[in-house]
Amino acid sequence: MIFSTLEHLLTHISFSIVSIVITLHLITLLGNEIIKPYDSSEKGMIATFLCLTGLLLTRWIYSGHFPLSDLYESLIFLSWSFSLIHIVPYLKKRKNYLTTITASSTLFTQGFATSGLLNEINKPTILVPALQSEWLIMHVSMMILSYASLLCGSLLSVALLVITFRKIFYSSKSNNLLKLNESFSFGEIQYKNERNNIFQKTYFFSDKNYYKAQFIQQLDFWSYRVISLGFLFLTIGILSGAVWANEAWGSYWSWDPKETWAFITWIVFAIYLHTRTKKNLQGANSAIVATLGFLIIWICYFGVNLLGIGLHSYGSFTLISS
Amino acid sequence: MNTLLTLNPLKPQTHLIKFTNFKTFNQISNQRCLISTIRCKISSQQSKDATKNKVVVPGAAPSLSEEIEAPATAAEEDFRRKKNGGGFMKKLSKRVLAVLANLPLAIGEMFAIAGLMALGTAIDQGENPEYYFQKYPEDNPILGFFTWRWILPLGFDHMFSSPVFLGTLILLGASLMACTYTTQIPMVKVARRWSFLQSANTIRKLEYSDSLPKASIQDLGVILSGAGYEVFLKGPSLYAFKGLAGRFAPIGVHLALLLIMGGGTYSATGSFKGSVTVPQGLNFVMGDVLGPKGFLSTPTEAFNTEVHVNRFYMDYYDSGEVSQFHTDLSLFDIDGKEVMRKTISVNDPLRYEGVTIYQTDWSISALQILKDDEGPFNLAVAPLTINGDKKLYGSFLPVGNTDSPNVKGISMLLRDLQSVVLYDQEGKFAGVRRPSSKLPIEIDGIKVEVVDAIGSSGLDLKTDPGVPIVYAGFGALMLTTCISYLSHTQIWALQDGTTVVVGGKTNRAKIEFPDEMNRVLDRVPEINEPPDVICG
Repeated sequence: MIFSTLEHLLTHISFSIVSIVITLHLITLLGNEIIKPYDSSEKGMIATFLCLTGLLLTRWIYSGHFPLSDLYESLIFLSWSFSLIHIVPYLKKRKNYLTTITASSTLFTQGFATSGLLNEINKPTILVPALQSEWLIMHVSMMILSYASLLCGSLLSVALLVITFRKIFYSSKSNNLLKLNESFSFGEIQYKNERNNIFQKTYFFSDKNYYKAQFIQQLDFWSYRVISLGFLFLTIGILSGAVWANEAWGSYWSWDPKETWAFITWIVFAIYLHTRTKKNLQGANSAIVATLGFLIIWICYFGVNLLGIGLHSYGSFTLISS
Repeated sequence: MNTLLTLNPLKPQTHLIKFTNFKTFNQISNQRCLISTIRCKISSQQSKDATKNKVVVPGAAPSLSEEIEAPATAAEEDFRRKKNGGGFMKKLSKRVLAVLANLPLAIGEMFAIAGLMALGTAIDQGENPEYYFQKYPEDNPILGFFTWRWILPLGFDHMFSSPVFLGTLILLGASLMACTYTTQIPMVKVARRWSFLQSANTIRKLEYSDSLPKASIQDLGVILSGAGYEVFLKGPSLYAFKGLAGRFAPIGVHLALLLIMGGGTYSATGSFKGSVTVPQGLNFVMGDVLGPKGFLSTPTEAFNTEVHVNRFYMDYYDSGEVSQFHTDLSLFDIDGKEVMRKTISVNDPLRYEGVTIYQTDWSISALQILKDDEGPFNLAVAPLTINGDKKLYGSFLPVGNTDSPNVKGISMLLRDLQSVVLYDQEGKFAGVRRPSSKLPIEIDGIKVEVVDAIGSSGLDLKTDPGVPIVYAGFGALMLTTCISYLSHTQIWALQDGTTVVVGGKTNRAKIEFPDEMNRVLDRVPEINEPPDVICG
């Protein structure tokens, strides 16, 4: 009883803190000069991290097994991983662009876990025989950590794509809204460009472009670094899963849907890493691959579970029955 | 006057020596620049070997060459072969290698494999042809073209063993080998050479560069080696590197993948598999259960081993759900001698001379009952629900005339080995009894006592000679992937008067690198005295 109350409390505290942090982030976005909200949002994320750690520990003690046996627990673990990724650079005293993405990702996963959608299954369940192994901790925690870091990395790539092609997005948007205005502004841009060709580039213009290019490069580097880390976790996760399967199911690889999709994810991010080795494929091209990877992780994490097929159906049938 | 002279870093006496040195340095640095503009084309680097030897001290350290462009390399090697008048076959194989090592091709193959696997999970696997005729009919194609005519001839109903999929995998394996051979191994040869940079301008053109006024290159060297770098010092120039393994690890990743592919192939062609459901107390011979999977499968001595199921039992949670099931197995060799005994459970298989026995399933085979204190009789138990994850078994004890067409009797239902639910002839609930409780129940005037519920153990047997190879590949892959995360960092520095010009580059941690460099350079002490050391 005391455990479930504590768990309930921690869930809601962490969710509210993350919501506040997101609001603070929005405020920081509006008024870039204010540093105070940014700092307190960092403290908020640390509090969230502690709450989620407490939540997981409570659940561990309460249920007697590592809390990764169903979808709800894996979601909590996912948001824990996000907050971990969030605070590691902060503790190293390094400011980066990851924070916005990790904070909002934590909000989403935590919100989904706390929402009524999964209300039926958030009671600690018993562990089926196949899950009773030490490999559970290694395999599932590695997989979820890799999902978290790959999601962060590919979201950075999505951001890169959006910034690179913002002009195109913008013009297509205005295309729907006001055609006349659009053509007018296009004319203006052309006029501007001509002017720039004739005269020397204005200082302001090149300066802005320079910052944009630098920002894109930073995003690119971060995304590459985080995805490499996630790829490392994914490799370890898949391989430990294969070793476990050889102990429990009698074969290290059985083309189970979840396995297959994890392998697809692995291949897509392997492609991403290979596109990085070629100079002419870097930037937008590799970002497109990472964006594809983002969708595939979701299919792998949720899609396969929702269908409830294959051997990995531990977290799934309860969701469908509810 | 004297003070003025000492302020000048190059004293007249040393100046002469320095001058001759300086000239050669200049020459060399020009050549060095030439090499660095050509970059990473191996054959051109090799052709410059004669000049490079002046600059490069052979040793285990990398040069500044970037990633190698595979097609160019291979094409150039091809070209050289032609000049040497190599045979046609050699030319052809070079051409094939060049095509296979092409990165866009490899990326295309990876996308193809990913796509085929996705398709394999989207299409239900291993069904009858009729199923596909019905689900993918010709008159209503999915996406306007996808019908069973695509699935059956291409073997997409068994995607993961279809020729299309396996062919793509083999192609990818070939690409892996070609890439390792033509791109990565030459890269090692190049990276093993290392060099000093002799011109401050070249250093300043690097990704990261800085100049430290009033500093000595020796101090920088000491601090860099303290920060984990391998440092090489020669005269006024310094070269340091860290994380060389990170540059070589991708080769290891490729080799590990090839090892896994090879092991997987051996597994698929050389293994035996089989599953059996054995009631408690019965036995079977391994060889009868195991069936060959491929043409390399050869039975071993161990196949004559007889397996006896001594006992099958289950553990339950307080809520009544099954928590684990165990089978006590004894193995007897051909002479009837017991060679092994082990209680297996899910996640804890038995291994004997290459054969592995897994606990995978359970069911209930028989109910032992006493009818009016007679018996015990064994009643056969049949599974009642096939789908759904809750199992249900049923049995029937006929009452009265068993020869009449509509026999009536007592029905018994079981979910597990814990309890039996009994129903009378009319189908009304009569009671629940636990086996071995010795508590009889009277139904329609018949005294029934459930003595025991006999479970049967679902076992999977397997021999897989590929597992050691695959596991070796797994270990190597994990290790090399971890090492691949390391960033290969190279630093060059040159003492230019009292100023030290430092530059460096790294291949992965491009964000952290400037920070790390700044931290290192902050620790280099400032020298107020002019550094005499460099002149000596």
